[in-house]
Amino acid sequence: MGPELVIALIAGAALFGVGIYGALSQTNLVMIMMGVELVLAGAMVNMLAFWRYLHPDNPAGQMFVLIIMTVMAIEMSVGFGVAIARFRAKGSVEMEEAAELKG
Amino acid sequence: MMTAQMFFIAFFGLAAVWFGIVVFRTFSMVRSALALLFSQTALGAMFLSMQAEFLGVLQIMMMATEMSIMAIFMVMFMMDPGGLGEMEMTHQKRLSLVTGFVSFVAAVMIAVFVDWGPMANTFPDAAQQTVDLGLELLGRSMLIFEMAGITILTAMIAATAVAIQPAKKVSQ
Repeated sequence: MGPELVIALIAGAALFGVGIYGALSQTNLVMIMMGVELVLAGAMVNMLAFWRYLHPDNPAGQMFVLIIMTVMAIEMSVGFGVAIARFRAKGSVEMEEAAELKG
Repeated sequence: MMTAQMFFIAFFGLAAVWFGIVVFRTFSMVRSALALLFSQTALGAMFLSMQAEFLGVLQIMMMATEMSIMAIFMVMFMMDPGGLGEMEMTHQKRLSLVTGFVSFVAAVMIAVFVDWGPMANTFPDAAQQTVDLGLELLGRSMLIFEMAGITILTAMIAATAVAIQPAKKVSQ
């Protein structure tokens, strides 16, 4: 097992951890989305490292990275749509004030 | 022995993580968006260090655009975008810290202790990688690729529909 793979996986793990912290701790919708972006970035690093160091002959690994980029773009577009709707309705995107969404 | 590739992967990985932490440590929302931009750009540089030229450039270009848009939204939606009031915008801090740390440690344990098998000896050059990816996208993975495109289109329409201002009813 090569050290490059382990270094990349540790960087991915750190991005994942920081993203989880951000998504759980922030009260603003846009900041929560930033946390989710970091989580997805961590997943992307892992995918690319696996492809590069274990199966470079199989382009499906790169395909997975493209799919994660797509998920990031979708998350941003839908998230901002929801943020605009929320801001228009309540004048704020603070999630502390969105208690009515609780089940 | 530390190779140049190993050094650059570690350097850009560290930069990506550091800027990721800065995102949640600054009071200024514009700085937050810029820190995320730098984090994602460092990630793109990390991809380039791993010799994935196409994906590295794609990551840098896509994230530069995405984060610029995000910075505009931050200024629009935040009560104190400059962070001059040093408003506290966090909750359940201890739980978040513990969960983030536990996820990090669990992922590191998996990365270090799992036997990932033999490392690949041969590696296609940049041109061959792009050819392979193109053939993959328009061959075996075409359905997934098309689905991704349709999903983005649907998300764009849905986001516009959600965000559009409802027409005011005219009272008779």
